[in-house]
Amino acid sequence: MPRPASESVAGAMLGFRDFPELLQARGLLPVASPAVGGANQPTQTQATTILAFKFAGGVLVAGDRRATSGNVMVYDRADKVIEIDDHSLMAIAGSPAAAWEMARVLSHSFQFYRRTQLQEMTVSAKVRALSKLLRDNFGLAMQGVGAVVPIFATFDAAHPFPGGKLFFYDVMGAQFEAADYATTGSGSPAMRGVLYHENTYGRAPLRSLDRDSAIGLALRALDTAAESDTATGGLDPRGKIFPVIKLVTGAGVISVADSDMTRMLPTRNE
Amino acid sequence: MFEEPFRFVEAIANRREYIENELATGSPITALAYDRGIVLFTMGRDRQKIFEVYDRIALGALGHPGDIERLRMLAIELASTEGFTRSAADVSLRRLVNYSLSPGLKAAFEQIYGPPYLARLLFAELGASPSTDQFVRVDFDGAIHSNGNPALKTRPGFGVLSGTKRSETRMNAFLTQEHRSDLSLTEAVRVARDAWVVGHLALIAKDEFNPDAPFPTATEIHAAQTTVLTQAVFEAALLDRTRPDGPAYRTLDAAELAGLQG
Repeated sequence: MPRPASESVAGAMLGFRDFPELLQARGLLPVASPAVGGANQPTQTQATTILAFKFAGGVLVAGDRRATSGNVMVYDRADKVIEIDDHSLMAIAGSPAAAWEMARVLSHSFQFYRRTQLQEMTVSAKVRALSKLLRDNFGLAMQGVGAVVPIFATFDAAHPFPGGKLFFYDVMGAQFEAADYATTGSGSPAMRGVLYHENTYGRAPLRSLDRDSAIGLALRALDTAAESDTATGGLDPRGKIFPVIKLVTGAGVISVADSDMTRMLPTRNE
Repeated sequence: MFEEPFRFVEAIANRREYIENELATGSPITALAYDRGIVLFTMGRDRQKIFEVYDRIALGALGHPGDIERLRMLAIELASTEGFTRSAADVSLRRLVNYSLSPGLKAAFEQIYGPPYLARLLFAELGASPSTDQFVRVDFDGAIHSNGNPALKTRPGFGVLSGTKRSETRMNAFLTQEHRSDLSLTEAVRVARDAWVVGHLALIAKDEFNPDAPFPTATEIHAAQTTVLTQAVFEAALLDRTRPDGPAYRTLDAAELAGLQG
């Protein structure tokens, strides 16, 4: 009988709680070999701009659409803000191959846990699961080909004060909870400047912005990033290529439609 | 023992009798199509009996909790690895049951020195349209009863599971008469509940089985249900066809169920 792969001998614990563990047992999870030598520096392959901040309705996560390889533009409709489950988003900067696979493992992990254990994974466990995937990927990152620096946004409904949560990571898997905003990718230095300024000296702190103002700010910020960073695709309303903006709210993940972005498109000084 | 084929047959017969006795008190489960998907329904006392397997596959099970757990875990692992390596659309109930569960159950049942699975399973798979919904019952010996056979003249939009053959026969007959796939959720839950009571009364009946006996009246069903509900609660889950993608499975909570009872 094809027994559950988790079932070894009678009396042993039944069932994986961890989906990657199951994939490993079935030989389906490629594990990066550790870097040889040690002189290798992880190259920055984070050509993108992701920004995320908390607003009144939850968390907004926005990303540009450009995928680059060196100085070649590979694709102008990449979706770097990925829905992991009903209430979680992962936004990626770095190697797309590793990042999309990671997102796939992650979303299956959450589902698998809920189905087998008959309960939802807690927010801290979800955050930690991504951290573990990053650490397992560190071998590839050290070889300079598979570095991923993600942002994770989710809505914690189980918390005594339910609300949006925002986390960012480093390439080794260290997790940091952001109080107000987080950025990643090559365009992020400009982003941090914009978001810090808006949050501290702007008309209102980010967390008090309503939906439309939040979307407007995200569009302005992405345009600013694209102005100085060649690897960030900004706004191209003529080409009908809009950034991806998704909102994590108590009601779930909402994708902002292109028509909404057209409406919110910031006017420029002439 | 092996040089005596008769003793093998006898051992299998004993084992079947033993398992059927063990399962004979199992509370019925019904799965049936309604206008927006599939609803699974049962009444239970102390443990969950309806589970999510994958995006569009749900499971109702009766039997020993330990065995149900092993089979449930196996089904989830197989579906999840398939969905991960290929895609969610490649996960198929037909393949899960025919190629993995049934052969394994049969082997466990007939290896008379090893323990059999004391469990019966009812799977429901939400198709792209109601005409491709599948209801598959898998027995402890690996026998499969599916509505998915293309040669069937009519394709019933429901599946039943119960502790005895008699109870299943009655529920089947009742649903053939009462079920339509355009029922609203409220009507579907009522039909599923009535079918449950019909199955339950057949389980506890002591008299000679008469398949043509009239079904209990609405008053009798209500009375039986009230008696049962002093010790048990409703349990129900949906496979919702209106969800665009991702998991279609959702349990109905106590408040929703209370609203649907009538």
